Amino acid sequence: MSQTITIDPVTRLEGHGKITIQLNAQGEVQDAHFHVTQVRGFERFSEGRPFYEMPSLMARICGICPVSHLIASAKACEAIMSVRIPHTAAQLRRMLNLAQMVQSHALSFFYLSSPDLLLGMDADPKVRHIFGVVEARPELGRAGVALRRFGQHIIELLGDKRIHPGWVIPGGVTEPLTPAKRDEILGMIPEAYANIKLALSWYKQIADSFKPEVEVFANFPSLFLGLINEDESVEFTDGALRLISATGNILADGITAQEFTQVIGEAVEPYSYTKFAYYKPLGYPDGSYRVGPLARLNIAKSMGTPLADAELVEFKQLASGPVQGSFYYHHARLIDILYGIEKIEQILSDPLILDKHVRATAGVNRLEGAGQAEAPRGTLMHNYKVDENGKITWANLVIATGQNNNAMNRGVLQAARHYIKDGKFSEGILNRVEAVVRTFDPCLSCSTHALGQMPLHLSLVSADGKVIDQAIR
Amino acid sequence: MTTPPNRCLILACGNTLREDDGVGPWLADWAQEHFGNQPEIRVLSRHQWTPDLVEDIAAVQSVLFIDCTIDSAPGQVILAPVEPASAMPRMLTHHLNASDLLALSRDLYGSQPRHARLLSVGAASLHIHEGLSDVVTASLPKAISCIETTLQSWLQGC
Repeated sequence: MSQTITIDPVTRLEGHGKITIQLNAQGEVQDAHFHVTQVRGFERFSEGRPFYEMPSLMARICGICPVSHLIASAKACEAIMSVRIPHTAAQLRRMLNLAQMVQSHALSFFYLSSPDLLLGMDADPKVRHIFGVVEARPELGRAGVALRRFGQHIIELLGDKRIHPGWVIPGGVTEPLTPAKRDEILGMIPEAYANIKLALSWYKQIADSFKPEVEVFANFPSLFLGLINEDESVEFTDGALRLISATGNILADGITAQEFTQVIGEAVEPYSYTKFAYYKPLGYPDGSYRVGPLARLNIAKSMGTPLADAELVEFKQLASGPVQGSFYYHHARLIDILYGIEKIEQILSDPLILDKHVRATAGVNRLEGAGQAEAPRGTLMHNYKVDENGKITWANLVIATGQNNNAMNRGVLQAARHYIKDGKFSEGILNRVEAVVRTFDPCLSCSTHALGQMPLHLSLVSADGKVIDQAIR
Repeated sequence: MTTPPNRCLILACGNTLREDDGVGPWLADWAQEHFGNQPEIRVLSRHQWTPDLVEDIAAVQSVLFIDCTIDSAPGQVILAPVEPASAMPRMLTHHLNASDLLALSRDLYGSQPRHARLLSVGAASLHIHEGLSDVVTASLPKAISCIETTLQSWLQGC
């Protein structure tokens, strides 16, 4: 008799998800799925709104990465306006986006994943949480709290609010940076360096003890996608997309936001509200790819900052080509943070950073526009169509979690097949299956807004297991 | 010149889009308006209490938490001492309560305020709506009085 193991909800994620593992009569794992069970609907209810409202509306999708939505949305609006924003505005947005990345990665690494890394995958769940980390290594707990605070405080200084700042608008930003705020941010930099160096040093000490997990945590060849600059360095806010193969060959390069949909398609599966992105020339699911910290480091030749560059050299020694093990998302996330701190420091030394020209203005000059940016979890794309009056007639968002969706599902199946034998499993094994998903740091709030576009299959099953009614739409 | 340290922290929590859940932010706005120019007092208002607030808490002598509650009668104002939690929640991403924050302050920084109180106001409605219900609006003078007397006693060193 077959059996289904359900992990519901999957813990220590942003949002609510469910994993089902189906066993066959021999107790072997037959199939496994990561289900996203929320539904949102932002694309649909933005229809009819003026395009210039979109950044602040779209930011409400997520309380963790509202800045990425603000920026991708504003850029889509600027494509509709056909304007190029002032240099200082672009730099300030870049700093805001990096600050968000730092605080979001701190949440993922320290709050959500460090309990597994410090206390072990098999530790008692009663202590396997951030407070267990605080008790065992208080300096690590302090570093995590401080890095999250570092990012959030910069967002608050620039945007006046930690969550859903309204400072980013189509055309630039509403206010220039003041000398006092610049100096306050600069004053926080040394402590941020100390904290990320502590975390990197600690991670490298413990990483080797997770070699068994490295082997089976979504460790398989795949494509990788992310934004880079013309000099092939990592970019979070501007730049263009690069897609590489599992062996590191460049499959597509210099893809602008306006070209995104020519290259990337979206599939739907009946078991999840999140869409599945894929590279069109290879089709679905062969064209599935990964985004986020691991992808960013795999596609880039350099970080563009000295300390992060040194870390990237070390990181790339983990494999002869692209690093395929998703466990290394944790490592890549820490390098992202280091890069973010360095880059923020660099931006603040820009002689034009206090310039007061931070906004361009225009009306509707095109009826469609798209914008892209790197969110903490990976590439984010907003695409809008408007009528002559600037009202939204259609919107589509391609979210990092959707782009990692196929890899997360493959990873869950890979880990389940490795760990579950003869139908037997322990809490530690189930935690490992969950931890595969946590390496991607999915944001389920962001990724679920495909209502009306995906098939829903409702089955009514009697007590003896017979399907007595069903509805498919 | 260095900025004198804040002695008292007012830390409110709530969502102004959920009717009476906005009472914390409302009282924080009132406190900012009346005490904002006093360097000894700092007012913070947040949608959620998150761990990054712990450093602010560890740095002050007194903290007054303000929140709405569904555990009291609508409009009931209660001012009660808060002790650090003895057991922490398993999950920690979005929200902690006042006791959790005090415990985290103690465990992370080896420091916690000498005085900690929670001012709670019973909610009549948490529907999606801006503005407070009549019963909670009527309770505001009492809540304000609690804030004034609490701060006065702390600043006088009582």
